[in-house]
Formats: sequence, C-alpha cells, structure tokens
Amino acid sequence: MSEEFVEDKDGMKIRKLTKLKTSTAKEYEDVMLRRVEEFKNKNAEKSQFNDIFQNTFVKAFSTILDLKLDVDKALGEENVKKVRKAIDDILLLGL
Amino acid sequence: MYHLDDDEYLNEKYYRKTKSVCPECLQPISAEVYEEDDKIWMRKTCEDHGDFKDLISSSAKYYKWTHYAIKDKDGKVIWQFDKDGETNPPDFKGDDPRGCPYNCGLCDQHISTCSLALIDLTNRCNFNCNFCYANVLQSGYLVEPSLEEIDRIMKHFRSKPIPAVAIMFTGGEPTVRKDFPEICKMAKDHGFKEVIVATNGYGFQKKNGGLEWTKKVKEAGLDTLYFQFDGINNVTYEKTRGIKNLMAYKQRVIDNCRKAGLNSVVLVATIAKGVTDIEVGNIIQYAIDNIDTVRGITFQPVSLCGRIAFEEREELRITNADILKEIENQTSGKISMENAWYPLTTIVEFGRVIAYLADVEPIEFTCHPDCGFASYMVVDPDSGEMMPIMEYFDPLKIIDFANRFWAKIKNKEKKPLRIFEDILGDFGKTLDNGLNYLDKTQLKARFLLGILQYMKKPGKLMELFSRLLMRGDWESISSFSYGALLLSSMHFQDAYNMDLERAKRCIVHFGVAMPDGSVKEISFCTMNSIHRPEIEKQIAKKITPKIRNEFDTTTGQEMVEVKPEVARNGGIKKEGEE
Repeated sequence: MSEEFVEDKDGMKIRKLTKLKTSTAKEYEDVMLRRVEEFKNKNAEKSQFNDIFQNTFVKAFSTILDLKLDVDKALGEENVKKVRKAIDDILLLGL
Repeated sequence: MYHLDDDEYLNEKYYRKTKSVCPECLQPISAEVYEEDDKIWMRKTCEDHGDFKDLISSSAKYYKWTHYAIKDKDGKVIWQFDKDGETNPPDFKGDDPRGCPYNCGLCDQHISTCSLALIDLTNRCNFNCNFCYANVLQSGYLVEPSLEEIDRIMKHFRSKPIPAVAIMFTGGEPTVRKDFPEICKMAKDHGFKEVIVATNGYGFQKKNGGLEWTKKVKEAGLDTLYFQFDGINNVTYEKTRGIKNLMAYKQRVIDNCRKAGLNSVVLVATIAKGVTDIEVGNIIQYAIDNIDTVRGITFQPVSLCGRIAFEEREELRITNADILKEIENQTSGKISMENAWYPLTTIVEFGRVIAYLADVEPIEFTCHPDCGFASYMVVDPDSGEMMPIMEYFDPLKIIDFANRFWAKIKNKEKKPLRIFEDILGDFGKTLDNGLNYLDKTQLKARFLLGILQYMKKPGKLMELFSRLLMRGDWESISSFSYGALLLSSMHFQDAYNMDLERAKRCIVHFGVAMPDGSVKEISFCTMNSIHRPEIEKQIAKKITPKIRNEFDTTTGQEMVEVKPEVARNGGIKKEGEE
C-alpha cells in the first residue's frame, strides 16, 4: 500500500489509492471474476453463454484477437495504421 | 480529441463569443470565452451592473481538447461545437424578444431532445440544508404536484416523437411522499426504461421499515438511487449538511439496498473546494468496496448563487478539470485526466449506431462538451483490479469509426428497405422485413469487425465485450456490466458561468404541470438559475401547520433564513458563520 498521502488545508490526511481492488464484497468479487460461468449456471439452458455456436465463435475470435495483437506488434505502428485504414475502407464499402 | 490527424490546434488560443446572463439582473448579455494563464475564462459586461469574470476551466489544454476546432478559408482556427442533436417539435412559441432562455418551455431554439426527464415531487425535506434551492422551510411555500399532475408530466415526456427514456424524481426529498411507490409504478406504466430517485436516503435508511420500504419501491419499478454522498467522514457532512454522525445513516441506505436487491446506486458527490474535494479518492474506494450495489459516482462541482465578489468566487469555484486532476492525484494516476475521461458528447454517434442495430430507443448525449465527462471502470477478470475501460480499447479510433459508420447508415434508420410491399402487399411486407433483418445482420458484423480492430488487450474482458456486441441482449449487458463502475463529472451552470450555447443543448429537462393544464419543459440549469422562482410562484401552495409538522428534521433545526451569499450546492459555510 502506498505511503503517499493527500492532505487538506486542515491537515486531514487521506492515503492515496494505489490498488483499485474490491475488499469488502468478497462474495460478489468472486462472481465478478467468473461472470460468464455465473450466468451460464444461473440461466442454464436459456443462457446464450451455453450456445455452442456462440462459444465456438468467441473462442475462434479470441484466438484471432491474440494473433492480431501479435501481428500489430510485428507490423509496427505505421504499417498498422495503413492496414487499419484499408480494413475500415472495406467495412464501409457500399454503405 | 475529435482531431485524429493532428493536435496542432491545441497551440491556438481559445476564443469564442457567446450569450450569457447578468448574475445580478439575469438579463441576457453578450459574453466572451477566452484563454488566459492556461485557463479558460468567461467575461461579460452588464450596462447596469458592470463587469463579470469567471473561471470556466482550470485547464486550457484539456478544455480545447474536448472542443471542436475548424479552420476557415484563411487557415484561422474557429472554435465551434457543431454536434447538434435531434429535436422534438417545440412545445412553446414564446414572444419574448430576448429569446433563449426567456422563451423556455421548450422553444424552437433548443437543439437537443430530453434524455432525462425530471419531476420535483416535493420541496419538503427531512434535511434543512441552508443552501438548497428547493426547500419548503426556506421558500415559505409548498410545491408538490398531485398524482394527476405527475401523470400529465409523464405523458408529456413519453408522447414526444423522440420520448425521454429515463425519469428522475427530485425534490426536496422525494421519499417523504407516502405515494412514492405508486409514482414509481406510474413511471414504469408510462414506459420509462429507467426510473431514478435523487435522494438523501431518507425512505431507504429507516431503522423500522426501511428494508421493507426499499423492497416495495423496487417492486414498484424504481431502478436506481441517485444518492447524495459527500464523503465517508462524518466531519464532511457536518460541513456540507450541518448534521452530525450522518455516515451511519448513509451506510444504512446501502445496506438496505443490498438486502433488497436494489443494486443500482449512483453516489452523487457535491464537490466544494477545501470541503469535499479531499474525499474523491475515498468515495471511489467506497464505491469499489460496495461494487455489488454501487454502479456509479457522479461528481458535481458546486454551483454558486447570490452576490459573490470575484476574489471570493475564485476561491470557491471548482471546475470539471479540477475534479479530474484531483481524482488522478488521489488514485496515484490510475484514473488519469489525459486518458480516462471523455465528454459525454463523444459517444453520440456510437450510441445511435447501437440503438439502431439493437432496435432500442436511443439516448442522445448531444449536450455541450462542458456539461460533463465520464469514464467507465471495469473489473479485470485476469487481475481482479478495476481499471478504466480505455485501457482495453483505442477509444478515439473506435469513436472515429463509429462516426463514419453512422454517417453512412443514418439514412437507413429513416428509410428502411421497402422493395416488395408495394407489389405484393402483406406478403411483400414480410419479405421486406426479412431483407431488413439480413441487412442489419450484415451491418452488425461490419460494425463488430470495425470496432474489434481497435482492441488493445486480450483476455476475458474482450470475450465479454464481443459477446455484448454480437448479441446485445440483457444477459450479455448484465454480464459485461457486473462490477462495472461509471464515473462522471457534471458541472451545472449558475448565473456567473451561464453559457446559453450550453443551455440550448441541455438534455436534462424539468417537467412542471402548470395551473392552466399545460406542461412546461425547462432545461435544468436555466430552471435553477433563472426560472424557478417565477414558476414556483404560479404553482405554490400555502404551508399549513399540518405540513410543517410532517417534517422529519434530523437536526431539529428551526427554520433558517435563506442566505443568498452561501454557495448553493456545496453548503460552504463562511468563516464565523454558525
């Protein structure tokens, strides 16, 4: 925890926040961190998170996103700009 | 921020002309907004009352970053905000030659719709803050619309071509009304998607029956508390509200909301320099610690009223930029001024695209960029820490893509495909519906791909976001927003800094049932700074001994005189004042 303090004109000291973590709602914190699993269980068959098609898509998408971030790094900032502009143009084409 | 190509315009001095009002006589006068000493100021002169100068923003750089700049044919920078909103037909054709804001009601000069409708349910209150603009003890009369009048106001807002999506009950303290649950139900029956109460917590905190009452209003349709919360220290409330040991009262509200499952509380902190600005970090930590119930924090820089000398105003005045700086300072730079905050107006087109693709009523944030800033904190499932959502995206690029996307598809919203209906009748209509569905599906795919290009980090949060974009139903919204915290800073205007360019774009409107059967719709800042006394004179009821006895005055204070020199919303007591 930080030893830095904010101090007001009356000398009231308040510790600076260095970690923005939940500390009192422990049960809820667990739920927050397992959001998809929580909804899958809660809504069972009705949950879109139990949809095989969607889950497959999301998994594929996550892999693509990981790859994209690697490619972005490899291409360098200038080239990424050009690629994105080209993709934007394609996505807006014909609208 | 709106300039993706360069930031050279930040080196240009800011200057624009606008209209304001004289703080003394409230007559409209010309004003200039200009840059000096790396700050933004407003200056104006009233022929009868002299010169006035007031601070608009303590950071010229940040202010300019949030404003549009265009270049004229000679290459000179013109500061101009040109994001006009959709408008509803005017309700009122005023004949006051002074124009805005004196023809408010609304008139044809207003250039935004109402996103949040307000109804003052009462000016009774269990508190007796000496700075409050709507307090029966100080005003000497009662303002309390009947159920029939409330119904009329709700109808007014929902019957517009672009209806208000959300409604907030204000006061006084709205929860002192016995029929409050019934009013919440009325709002839901009228189709308001979000029903909110601005409260000091009175009805929710009662030791006997508070929990049952909280459950009852939740069941009746109340969605969110806009909860007065100046800090976590009793000493702060003593300064702002003049009441001792108030924190236990505040905590009971949160506890009862938690137990009742009313898990949408927005903490509303009035920020006064040297009084509550020290508490911004505490409030953020409190919200995070109660994230199962608290959904957001709104910081409101104090607005000033009465006759206050320039030097004193300089001491009291706090702007949005000051608050963002203070938040950055008190969170060790984790919520930084430069990266975490955007004006509400940033997401206008993004919101329109989502509303169109998801077939929901749009919420138009076409207010002025000076009105408010927002940031969205999310819990990172990988680290368990909360951080601004901008860490995960390139927000400017996303906004730019959404702006261009909307420019291309906005005609589709007005004119859906209609190819077969004229030839094949009802069957053709069904075919057209199918075509429109397919068209929207391909648009969703394009938009999703466009947005996803600008993601910066992998991880579970991105998974949640992609699910949200793929299928914007309630489950995906809920899962994404579980543990999310909306931070905002809203600076309401007063007569010193009133900019009528802002007033014309206001998206928060009061509705008042007038004695002649009509409903007056008036923008928030002009209502509180200009119109309130005149309007209330027309609708006021006399205070009877019964009404006076119904107060639950926590302090046991006697009626105090209005002290116009006291800051309105911050309750700053001058030195030597009791």
